[in-house]
Amino acid sequence: MPRRIAFVTDKGGLDDRIYERFGRAPTFTIVEVGDNGEILSVRVVENPGFKAGSGAGIKAVQKLINEGVEVVIGPNPGPNAYLALQQAGIKSVSMLGVTVREALERFLHSQ
Amino acid sequence: MKRLVVTGGKGGTGKSFVATNLAVLFARKHHVVLADLDVEAPDDHVLLGIKELSNREEAKAFLPFIDTSKCTKCGVCAKVCDTGAILMPPKGFPVVFPRLCSGCTACYYACPYNAILKGYHVLGYSYVTKHPSIENLVLVTGVLREGEEHMPPVVVNVKKRAENTARDLLLIDTGAGTGNQIAISLKDSDLVIAVTEPTPLGLHDLEAILKITYEMGLRTWVVINRSGLGSIDKHVETMKKYSVEKYFHTPFHRDAVDSYVKGVPVVEYKPESIVSKSLYLIQREAENTLYGDGND
Repeated sequence: MPRRIAFVTDKGGLDDRIYERFGRAPTFTIVEVGDNGEILSVRVVENPGFKAGSGAGIKAVQKLINEGVEVVIGPNPGPNAYLALQQAGIKSVSMLGVTVREALERFLHSQ
Repeated sequence: MKRLVVTGGKGGTGKSFVATNLAVLFARKHHVVLADLDVEAPDDHVLLGIKELSNREEAKAFLPFIDTSKCTKCGVCAKVCDTGAILMPPKGFPVVFPRLCSGCTACYYACPYNAILKGYHVLGYSYVTKHPSIENLVLVTGVLREGEEHMPPVVVNVKKRAENTARDLLLIDTGAGTGNQIAISLKDSDLVIAVTEPTPLGLHDLEAILKITYEMGLRTWVVINRSGLGSIDKHVETMKKYSVEKYFHTPFHRDAVDSYVKGVPVVEYKPESIVSKSLYLIQREAENTLYGDGND
């Protein structure tokens, strides 16, 4: 079964670095990964939390839910996003200072 | 009933100073309700020498509850929620985050299945306190609960209580800034007095508040508090741009500070002070404008 993994990013893409903030990040880079860890697709979606007046964390997580994401890799989520991820059953993995590609490798390696 | 609103944009210009002194002066002839709508930091009672606020009531705001016997998990409520207070998980029912809810009721009206129940949460409190020695003066105070983000519902609530209490004059003291809660405080006023100071920051924030009073079509005057500290040429230019009718000065003077230290309005503490005299002038003009024969 392919899995969808979201990365918290600025401009998005495999070579973009993980963005420092969760709810207010400009984009999510959504990578679909096959059973053997191969990349099936890469998509960049806007994060509605980026421009939200309030509730950015919730809006960001809602977007991840709607995109069918199982795991999100990025900075530590804020308190609202944290609770929302719990409610949504989305696993959150903290990683900063690396590119999406590196983060993906590390994550798959740790599995 | 007449409505006079004291505002100003910048914090610390002397909004409460002007409002409390005008309240005391108006109370010599009128029944005055002074509404302290600076719900983040209400302190008019301190300036008036009121030790304890009384007649507390809760300021409530709508909060949605999900009727799980009716909810179909369609997610419309989460979509219409502007503040992101409702999350639609992949399975299960919508999840409400009370801290984020502004009480707008959009979800209540949007739900096609009437599955939203009308609950409420307490965002703050209002108080109605009679002044201990000035018979005609009643203070209505709004207090936002610590940590709450949403001021507008509290301001609406407290303003309503003040309106119900007022008979002759409703004098509103707003908080600083130009947010939604300030517009709510300004709404329906007969006269707005914007308090500023002769500094670049005072000028900047004066323009911000005048833009709003101008847009709302409100009759607006300006008080330059701490007058004498600096130039007001640019203030005057800005006032012209936004059709300010007239402006006044209250001088930068020790008497104003002394009255603060004593906790007594300066018009009572030192009635002969030039600071007090500058306030008499403002009150007299406002009195004529609000209660005059209408020929002004």
